[in-house]
Amino acid sequence: MANKPYKPDYTGTITKYVFIESPDTTPQTLAIRAYELSEGVMIKETCFGLQITGKPEEVNNIIIQLRNIDPTHIFVKDRAFPPGDPRRCRANLGGARPGYFGHEFEMRLIKYISKGLLESDSKKGYNKDILSKLKKKSTDKLPAEKLQKIIETQEP
Amino acid sequence: MSEQPVRVAQLSCGPEHSGVQKEIYDAAAMVNAEMFFPDVALSDIQSAYDEFGLEARSADLKLAIARAKALVDGSVDADAVFIATCFRCSEAAIVRNELRHYIHNNSKLPVVSYSFTERTTSGTLLTRMEALTTIARRRALLAREKQVGITLGIDSGSSTTKAIVMKDNEIVGTGWTPTTAVLESAETVVNSALEEAGISMSDIEAIGTTGYGRFLIGQKFNADLIQEELTVNSKGAVYLADKQRGEATVIDIGGMDNKAISVQDGIPGTFTMGGICAGASGRFLEMTAKRLGVDITALGPLAMKGLSKTVPMNSYCIVFGTQSLVNALAEGHTKEDVAAAACRSVAEQVFEQQLQEVDIKEPVIMVGGTSLIEGLVNEMGRLLQTEIVVPHHSQYIGSVGSALLASGFIKDR
Amino acid sequence: MVKVFIYPSTSLILSDMVERFGHNPLGAAIAIRERIQTPGFDSPPLQMTPEDPKKGLKYAAVEVPSGVRGRMALFGPMIEEAEAAIIINDSDLAFGCMGCARTNELVKFSIRKRKEIPILELKYPSSEEEGIAFVGAIKEFLEGLSKNTGGMEE
Repeated sequence: MANKPYKPDYTGTITKYVFIESPDTTPQTLAIRAYELSEGVMIKETCFGLQITGKPEEVNNIIIQLRNIDPTHIFVKDRAFPPGDPRRCRANLGGARPGYFGHEFEMRLIKYISKGLLESDSKKGYNKDILSKLKKKSTDKLPAEKLQKIIETQEP
Repeated sequence: MSEQPVRVAQLSCGPEHSGVQKEIYDAAAMVNAEMFFPDVALSDIQSAYDEFGLEARSADLKLAIARAKALVDGSVDADAVFIATCFRCSEAAIVRNELRHYIHNNSKLPVVSYSFTERTTSGTLLTRMEALTTIARRRALLAREKQVGITLGIDSGSSTTKAIVMKDNEIVGTGWTPTTAVLESAETVVNSALEEAGISMSDIEAIGTTGYGRFLIGQKFNADLIQEELTVNSKGAVYLADKQRGEATVIDIGGMDNKAISVQDGIPGTFTMGGICAGASGRFLEMTAKRLGVDITALGPLAMKGLSKTVPMNSYCIVFGTQSLVNALAEGHTKEDVAAAACRSVAEQVFEQQLQEVDIKEPVIMVGGTSLIEGLVNEMGRLLQTEIVVPHHSQYIGSVGSALLASGFIKDR
Repeated sequence: MVKVFIYPSTSLILSDMVERFGHNPLGAAIAIRERIQTPGFDSPPLQMTPEDPKKGLKYAAVEVPSGVRGRMALFGPMIEEAEAAIIINDSDLAFGCMGCARTNELVKFSIRKRKEIPILELKYPSSEEEGIAFVGAIKEFLEGLSKNTGGMEE
């Protein structure tokens, strides 16, 4: 089929997802605050929070102010597409776009990140042993020498 | 088109990032189909993947497994399934094959699998997509087992053009010519078929066309049915072989590409279409005949007299295949042995490259011009360890299938 | 601001942390946005075309599947441009741009080959304690990035 020319919409803009997972702030509260701050920037409410589209400095400015509402429970990420783009829309694809599952997966862990952020300003710091566990690439296996010892100590 | 689009579920890994998703969309749009991605939740992906038991590492393949499972379980509705993964990815090839088996064995959905490169175009995908939508949309038409009235079938293939006139379930006229100009070749064969049948064009009640030139000649002859060769040939094959009920496998080694179709009650279930190189096609046998100084019709009997194992030949590529052929002759091998080796080589290529992609169920029916080359049929039978059925008029398979199916349109006229 | 390549490049958590602590996350959205906002021939959904796998030949040979090369056309330039990187190693459930295991192996290797840039490798946290260590380590890493050189501050 002949190549159709492509004319992009929203050139020069950026879109960011704003996720909220908080016991205190609802996506609605976040949206109301965002509308107050918006000044011509496009805001779209979603089940997980917002999508904000506009010039980079305007979007970033709103994001900074929104984060202040609930800093440890608001998470932000770039989005390649403008909101409601038919190429990524669930209604057109039949199912969720692939990126959705990745978000779904990370949102299950987000409470640990919130906890981490909450503690990150405290003087206590974090447990270095736990960090070294997170840094290990493979799961611990029983060393061969140890296995040999176990075998040797078994009754015949 | 006012018909509802056929909903084709896409299970894939890589087409978006290979820049060919658009080609899939375009091929689907050309046959009024729409691609969709079966909806699953993250928890479904994990459980479906664990339950399926194939340890793919790529997340998109895990997603494909979960989507396949949703189709088989019936939690998502579809009319057909298209499985596509990157060519040369072994992990994806394993998943692709297993999903094809899984869907074929556990649902009634027609399924085609394809491995693409960045060079894959909508044109390449069109015939496969058309066959998928035909199977989904025209089950009633494909259920036809008898030809009625007077119909004409024209098959405009890459190497040859064929025509058949049928009357009251009998073949009454045939026409055959090498394809040159598409329209002129079609006119030539139609005229011979009509002449042989003693019937004039005005007596023809319905016309069907198939093959590469189907759209052009379909328009020219105002055809009632313009249909790709996968469904037409499998229908024609089971009709001529009188195997319309139950399972069958249809193999058609064509001039440009090969088709292997797993058929249930005359309707294709899974199929492949392709050929990496002309070395695995009828074209190589044509070249062999030419080099041996015999007519293509004499190649088969010649090969039957030879021993294929005495000459090393692997026609993965037509150039290298021809080199082997020239070397073998220079070494003093007989024409018979070389002819037999060429047949074995083509049979092996088709066996290795394509027959692994469909489930071989007996009877195995070979059709198309190459099915007349006894040596090739013999080698294929040896590889598959089965007696291969070659029906009468097998070289006219597309025309017969078209004439048979076109008779379903008679009352519409 | 330091350009920090994130892996998985679709990660919300990493994208957020890099930006939150004052740097510039390089992820899939940035590379796809560039294509979505550039005029050319229509190629839905990502505006990736057969030219992308060809550009990917810079990172992987022609016998490597087109999907790998296409993805490398997204990630390769960002890895070259990166001044630091954070890798989450057990990110097996990232789809789409991160959906190909072969690409992901090559992406991680390409990052690790850049020995001159600071790289932090971790696993996802699975408890509050791990969350604290995870965030603490990332914060420390990001705060230590020099604004001028991209290297760790002396």
